[in-house]
Amino acid sequence: MVSAGLTLIFGMMGVLNFAHASFYMLGAYFAYSLQGSIGFWGALLVAPILVGLVGVVVERFFLRRVHHHGHAHELLLTFGLSFIITELIKLVFGNYPVNYQIPDALNFAAFTIGGADYPVYRVLMGAIAIVMFIAIYLLLTRTRVGIVVRSAIYRPKMVEALGHNVPLVFMGVFGVGAALAGLAGAVAGAFYTTSPNMALELGVIVFVVVVVGGLGSLGGAMLASLLIGIITSLAISIDASLADFFALFGAREWAENIGGLMTLQVSSLSGSIPFALMLLVLLVRPNGLLGEKD
Amino acid sequence: MKTQSVLFITAIALLLAIPFLLSQGLVDAAIQMLIAALFASAYNLLCGQAGMLSFGHAAYFGMGAFATVHAMNALDGTGLLPTPFMPLAGAVGGLLFGIVAGYFSTKRSGTYFAMITLAIAELVHALAPQLKDMFGGESGISAMRMPAWGFTFGSTNEVYYLTLVWVLLSIALLFLFTRTPLGRLTLGLRENAHRLRFLGYNTHRLSIMVFAISAMFSGIAGGLQVVSNEAANYVLFDAHLSAAVVLNTYIGGVGSFLGPVLGASVMTFFGYAVSDLTQSWLLYQGTLFVLVMMFMPTGLAGIIASLGGLHKRFGVASLAPLVVLSVISALLLSAGGTFVIEMLQRMLSQNYQSLASLQTATRWPDILLFGQSWPPASISTWLVPISLLAVGAVMGYLAKQWVQILIQREALKSESNQSEKEVVE
Amino acid sequence: MSESILSLRGLRKSFGDIEIIRGVDFELLDHERHAIIGPNGAGKSTLFHLISGSLTPTSGEIILDQQQIGGWEPEKINHLGLSRSFQITNIFPKLTTFENVRLAVMRSHGLQYAFWKFIERDVRVREETERLLEMVRLESRSSTLAGEMSYSEQRSLEIAMTLASDPKVILLDEPMAGMSHDETDYTASLIRDVTQGRALMIVEHDMDVVFSLSDRISVLVYGEIIATGTPEEIRNNAKVKEAYLGEEATA
Repeated sequence: MVSAGLTLIFGMMGVLNFAHASFYMLGAYFAYSLQGSIGFWGALLVAPILVGLVGVVVERFFLRRVHHHGHAHELLLTFGLSFIITELIKLVFGNYPVNYQIPDALNFAAFTIGGADYPVYRVLMGAIAIVMFIAIYLLLTRTRVGIVVRSAIYRPKMVEALGHNVPLVFMGVFGVGAALAGLAGAVAGAFYTTSPNMALELGVIVFVVVVVGGLGSLGGAMLASLLIGIITSLAISIDASLADFFALFGAREWAENIGGLMTLQVSSLSGSIPFALMLLVLLVRPNGLLGEKD
Repeated sequence: MKTQSVLFITAIALLLAIPFLLSQGLVDAAIQMLIAALFASAYNLLCGQAGMLSFGHAAYFGMGAFATVHAMNALDGTGLLPTPFMPLAGAVGGLLFGIVAGYFSTKRSGTYFAMITLAIAELVHALAPQLKDMFGGESGISAMRMPAWGFTFGSTNEVYYLTLVWVLLSIALLFLFTRTPLGRLTLGLRENAHRLRFLGYNTHRLSIMVFAISAMFSGIAGGLQVVSNEAANYVLFDAHLSAAVVLNTYIGGVGSFLGPVLGASVMTFFGYAVSDLTQSWLLYQGTLFVLVMMFMPTGLAGIIASLGGLHKRFGVASLAPLVVLSVISALLLSAGGTFVIEMLQRMLSQNYQSLASLQTATRWPDILLFGQSWPPASISTWLVPISLLAVGAVMGYLAKQWVQILIQREALKSESNQSEKEVVE
Repeated sequence: MSESILSLRGLRKSFGDIEIIRGVDFELLDHERHAIIGPNGAGKSTLFHLISGSLTPTSGEIILDQQQIGGWEPEKINHLGLSRSFQITNIFPKLTTFENVRLAVMRSHGLQYAFWKFIERDVRVREETERLLEMVRLESRSSTLAGEMSYSEQRSLEIAMTLASDPKVILLDEPMAGMSHDETDYTASLIRDVTQGRALMIVEHDMDVVFSLSDRISVLVYGEIIATGTPEEIRNNAKVKEAYLGEEATA
């Protein structure tokens, strides 16, 4: 459920590149390195700022230079950059998860549901995700800056003519987006594992959410991340397999003979469920659940 | 035209002669280069010609590989499908999966398409280890090359020739494809799919066909890989393979037909050559890719083409200094970059870190690199790469200026020519 | 009197709360040249988008050749024999002019999914492509990249591509925009020639062309057709005068 909150933020910002997934990873690694010297909370504050600065550099010196080549080119460039960032992380920290842990002070159960402890850190992550979400939403819809940003995204030439510094706006947005990704990484990295693979894992899920929800649709992103979160959590708790399902019709032996997909536990397939959902959505509503026709 | 056919025949002759010229290890590398070249060509059909950026092409390569490994085990290289025809199973595997995956992914275009291909590849990667019967779980499936047609296929050389025939044939077919109506429409898809619909074309169906054909040739490449390795493992579906083909293709240059072939061969060769020397090959590959995307979007093939163009315009004499300057600049820059990366890599390695913590007197023991020992804490050590990079950058700048001067000179000349003509008239 | 090949009945299209097409009834007769005129923002291009399948109508019917085509895919509508050009030039910029026209010609020769034969060997396609290029006076530009030609040349290319499928119904959206006087004259006579025996629907701002070319004219104002008739009738129509004079007075 918490990862759903994270993906929602990316989905809402319409982030469609590989760089932000890398920023997420950088946030976790920065926080991990800083934790020793300035403590967990300090790291939580400083790491996003550092990542934001990296984001500004990426926008100013890389993306802006190739902007005129079109969107595919930008996507490829962020792909290359994320590749380099991952390799650098491996170079510096090694190709294995690092020991980035929740501080002991936060490592206790908040409450217990059905015999399972619900850690307080999970609640904290959820809270941070919700606060971030509300803050971005208000910023974009209610403030003057937000209006300029939104119009700069849709009509850059017009906004430029009105006297706003559009390149600066883009740089700022990219930097803030990177910082948010960094914050998410710093928070989530401690709970999940911080490893060189985390960028790819997150990136793929974000992409799935955007495809399922429909781009630029706030409600779509929310619906998609909730749906994926709920179905995945449900699937983990199901110990049945497709063969059990066929057993209802007395066809168990037939299904077990087929083997393969038929005898796999649904819980072991939970990682594949978001993808299956994506394919299903593409089949029935190619433009996403709440997306408009493009 | 004549020089082209001479080049072509020379290239084929060289490829045929490779087993007689090189050691077994290098022949193995040559097989990998050929397979990578075919994979990149197949990928380029989709991304370069049809303009559909796929980040999950390992899926089709892998499907071809597993189809082939199953065919090898099931048929024992006898009957209808003797060993030399095994990659056909890969073609079928790639094609069938390509049709299914293509149906879904081509429902959207642009960035969405890219994301869906990535997601499908990740889906396969996540499912494959679970499906033991089909993909052999974590350990994978192995098979044997069976003798056929009087060949044992026991030696690397025989495998090399088999691979060579398949790769040349496939690349030739891919080239001929560009001359067919569907091949021309592929370019139309890239340029303006919207307009194609109003000319009466079903662009979704066209996209699926192009996608499936690209997947089919990727499947052949995967099949050749299995014939060569006699094994397949779910690691074939790893995102790294998808990334490698994107990198290779763009480094080579998507604008021309042979660019990706060049890129994939060169990169695979370097990957083989330096794999013992460095642990950071992927980092170099990524850096090179970003540099290509930033400064020369047409890739290696583009550089060769523009060099050819400049050669025609200015002749060898005025071009020679330019080439020398740029080559030296590139060498210096890469030497500097390599120095920094390798130094860091050694400094940050676990062995070194534990060594450093043992030797309390001198905090940073010397590092052995390029046959020399370097004290990492001294400034002079770092001055080496810095000066390499600086001189390289200056020379690169000079090379750029040189081109400017040549172009200006030409403009002046043509102007004076024109005024002369006017005087005559 | 020939019968109607394309009819619009009670056609409406809204974007959100804004209704752009507000109940259009319209008949395009077989073999007639019919111009749509009206002030900017009247919905002329939207009307074209609805007929050609770019947009789905909110309500109402579009009947082409006895079939209800509202909301169909553009390629299916094209297969029924309707071909259109675009107001904003819509070509394949990085392909040669020849290649642009050839892509358009191939479809009507049933070559869309063929990968077993070479396109250069097909004499019919090549000859047809050359004929079309000659017709729009672009034969000397056939190996130029389409995106590098002048704007008016691209407009001519657009016309050649629209004609390539030998359509029964042709929709031209401002074909002469950006052309010089001489080019406009030539294109007008070209359009007159090639639409012989076909139905033409044209949106154009050059009133000389509109009045000399068309058999009938419809006037679209704020999403409604306020008048339809021969050029003579339209010239003397009080409502039209009001709409246009009002427009000019404010402009």
